[in-house]
Amino acid sequence: MSCSFLVKTMHTHLQRKVRLSGIQWALLGALLIEIIVFSVSSPSFLTWSNGMEILRFSVELGLLVVALTPILITGGIDLSVGSTIGLVAVTFGLSWQNLHLSILSSAALALLVAGVCGVLNAALIAYLNLSPLIITLGTYSLYRGIAEGITHASVSVTGYPASYLRLGQGYLWSVPLQVFVFLFFIAVYGVLLHWSKVGRALYAIGLNTEGARYAGLPVKRYLALVYLLSGIVSGIAAVIYVAHLGLAKSDLGTGFELQAITAIVIGGTSVFGGRGNLFGSVLGLLFLCVLQNGLHLLAQPSEAIGVLTGALLILVVASDLLTEKLQIFRQRWERWRLPLLLAGAAAASILVIAAAVILRSSRTDAAEAADAHPRPVIAVMPKAKGDPYFISARAGAEEAARQLGVDLIWDGPTSLDPSMQNELVESWITRHVDAIVVAVANKGSMSTVLRKAREHHIPVLTWDADAEPDARDYFINQATPEAIADSLADEGARLLNGNGEFAIITGPLSAENQNEWISYIRKRVAERYPQMKLVTVLPSDDDRDKAFTQTQNILKVYPHAKLVIAISAPAVPGAAEAVQQAGSSVDVIGLSLPTICRPYIRSGVVQTIVLWNTRDLGYLTVYAGWLASQGRIPPNAAAINAGRLGTLDVRGSEIILGKPVLINKANIDSLNF
Amino acid sequence: MSHRIREIALCATIAVLMLLLEWRTTGFFSPANLVDLFLANLPTMMIAVGMTMVILTGEIDISVGSIFAICSVVMGECARAGTPMVVSLLVTIAAGAVMGTINGGLIAYIRIPSIVATLATMVALRDGLRWYTQGAWIQGLPQYFQWFGLSQSAFLLLCAVMVVVTVFLSAAGLKNLRAGRKVIATGSNKAAAHMAGIDTARVILGVFALTGGLTGVAAVLNSVRFNQVPSNSGLGLELKVIAAVAVGGAAITGGSATITGTVLGVVLLSGIGSALTFLGISAYWEKAIQGGIILIAVAVDVLQFPRKDNAHTLAA
Repeated sequence: MSCSFLVKTMHTHLQRKVRLSGIQWALLGALLIEIIVFSVSSPSFLTWSNGMEILRFSVELGLLVVALTPILITGGIDLSVGSTIGLVAVTFGLSWQNLHLSILSSAALALLVAGVCGVLNAALIAYLNLSPLIITLGTYSLYRGIAEGITHASVSVTGYPASYLRLGQGYLWSVPLQVFVFLFFIAVYGVLLHWSKVGRALYAIGLNTEGARYAGLPVKRYLALVYLLSGIVSGIAAVIYVAHLGLAKSDLGTGFELQAITAIVIGGTSVFGGRGNLFGSVLGLLFLCVLQNGLHLLAQPSEAIGVLTGALLILVVASDLLTEKLQIFRQRWERWRLPLLLAGAAAASILVIAAAVILRSSRTDAAEAADAHPRPVIAVMPKAKGDPYFISARAGAEEAARQLGVDLIWDGPTSLDPSMQNELVESWITRHVDAIVVAVANKGSMSTVLRKAREHHIPVLTWDADAEPDARDYFINQATPEAIADSLADEGARLLNGNGEFAIITGPLSAENQNEWISYIRKRVAERYPQMKLVTVLPSDDDRDKAFTQTQNILKVYPHAKLVIAISAPAVPGAAEAVQQAGSSVDVIGLSLPTICRPYIRSGVVQTIVLWNTRDLGYLTVYAGWLASQGRIPPNAAAINAGRLGTLDVRGSEIILGKPVLINKANIDSLNF
Repeated sequence: MSHRIREIALCATIAVLMLLLEWRTTGFFSPANLVDLFLANLPTMMIAVGMTMVILTGEIDISVGSIFAICSVVMGECARAGTPMVVSLLVTIAAGAVMGTINGGLIAYIRIPSIVATLATMVALRDGLRWYTQGAWIQGLPQYFQWFGLSQSAFLLLCAVMVVVTVFLSAAGLKNLRAGRKVIATGSNKAAAHMAGIDTARVILGVFALTGGLTGVAAVLNSVRFNQVPSNSGLGLELKVIAAVAVGGAAITGGSATITGTVLGVVLLSGIGSALTFLGISAYWEKAIQGGIILIAVAVDVLQFPRKDNAHTLAA
């Protein structure tokens, strides 16, 4: 009796709650089509391990998606979740490393901080009745700012015990461990949103807040609850994320908030509130993650993801809205239903086949030749694709690829992003490329995945910045951070005659390379040039205009400073322009590219830039990768023959490109990179 | 009434900051520094004026940073191709206006929520630009590109005139022109405005196109200060602009915002970044301080104003 009653209630509940809207059916179809297209065009896509990797990478974002869905359903928004991840990760890392707390108590403390973040949002939004968009825009800056402030944006805590790292990197029944956490939260939020009184109230609030209040619902308390929970769930995402990457740093989770909102909106939830469900959000998330993974496997450029996501977002929401208008024509439409459906299905399948064919052929000609005599595929990753420094390296890499007749995959994050680097390497392991050559943005987080690549017998090389020595076969050493810093410090000392004040303009405050250079510059100056004084370090965020403004400030605030060292490629022209426009006699040196500094070196504003030949470096990445993939570097080799670069020394497992060169008026015109 | 109080509060905050700067630093109020500050924040100011109108209609535009980057590159490409300066600047402003119109069309006619539509265009335009330029800067610009071939003081005068004219025209326009009243009406109550015979869709299209155009103007004025154009400018610009407008007292729900408030908001927020350097406060805390100021500025409202009218009845 009671059993049949239960079944009946379950049945009605299921019917009511889990009914998909039209757009969600469409999304489900699109997801399937996406999977079919990718499996047809890439053999390694539809495998268990690739599927699990997609899931692993979707967990942190997924937790945010789950936490944000109820907020959007109430008609609110929370932009601070990504920053909360940064703050919580830093708290967790510091309390483990500096306060020597156990992992569990660090996590507890971190979650407490996450709770406080949530409470602040909740109090301001629910109880003071302020606009969620503006409040969380404020806390977005505040939380990230605190994380940067307490770590000086440079501390990155690594070296966690293996038992904790398993949470982010381990498996249970060959499913990544954190997927179970994710499933748990989907279940909890599913019940909260779709099978509880609170959930109904949240929809009511989203549809009409005033009405809900008149209906006697505790609107403030429920609103406070969802914002508080969003803080805590972001905290849990942070703890998992740290275990996943193996490091805690203040810039973790940057940009996650917009990605999460994109997934939710694609999943059919309205930003006006009152409409949408958790299932759609998860579907939207999977759709985006599969898209990203598939495009990586097919070696499509990372920029395509942004363009496609934007277009899809508009398409999905627009078609959702237009179907409502189409209801009017429905009756006329009904008669033609079957032919239309068939035509639609035919059009869809033609599109699918066309997409598969195009994607397949775009995998360069090698894909077809692969069966006959495979061309080696060398995958090279810069730290950030848009950086002028890496762009000039790319030219060299392409030159080597042409010369050797290998296929080059050149892809990387569009801006500094450690997790994107991990994701790309994972997809390359799945593709089983012949060699992986990576410019490591973050040692701690990359080493794990690079070890995994080595376990799969893929030669791993690093360039520009090294990983842990056991995580790669060779490091292409263009110049050590110490050599760069020493050259800069020596050059600066020469210009100042070893006596005077100087300032440094760096990239983003959290850039690891730059921070390492700064610490070596400080060391060198303290050892050799005690009369020189570093007055300030200011960030330029790799933005020419910001470097310009910062230099203008330096010129005014520190009138005794006679030298600016700019250590990010776009910052040197920015600093030089500021000095030039101010008509000042301050010297500018730094680390940048000849192309963008040429006018300033010629006019004498920039005295010297320190660099190695980036084109040669790019050439060497592919050449050495190819040598390693062919097993042509014998163990204990003392030198290798690197094509047009001639014979290069090998010391231990480091291939030495040579010393950094000083570029000045004398040699600028002979350099073409 | 409420706006007046917010504006007075903002003025007071700026005054306190100025006193602090006068007391603790030297050279902040030197003409050279004020000129630099003005030029550096010129783009924010121009775009903020447009954003104020967008927010007045109850919408939001988070794609301005990407539009700014594209306009800068368009300006550079035109100049490199040897087009006369006047033509390239008109093309750039038109490009901005077109992108703004696309946003506006998606929002006003297809009725996509503005935050979704501009989120989509923000991501798509930014990555599209990266794809196109592959990160390369635009170089080899003609000599006359930098400073428009004008002297620095003439350029400064031009910028000052542009900003003053834009601010005054928009402030006066919102108050006195029919079009301005339509913007406020649309934001206050869209349905009622529609019933009153206002073509609200066209109003929304208009404010987005205007914001796009102003972003183009900002990009022109910013690029001609340099002799090459980077391909990644304007990152995070949208948040800076929205924060300034919000601090200036705009209600994000629409219908209530003033240009005066926005101008004060831009002055306060842009002054702070530079002030921290002058005060010798470490750059590591800059973001936290900015976030704190946004929160305080917005939260202060609650303490001084009576609640919304029906909130009273409900509280009872």
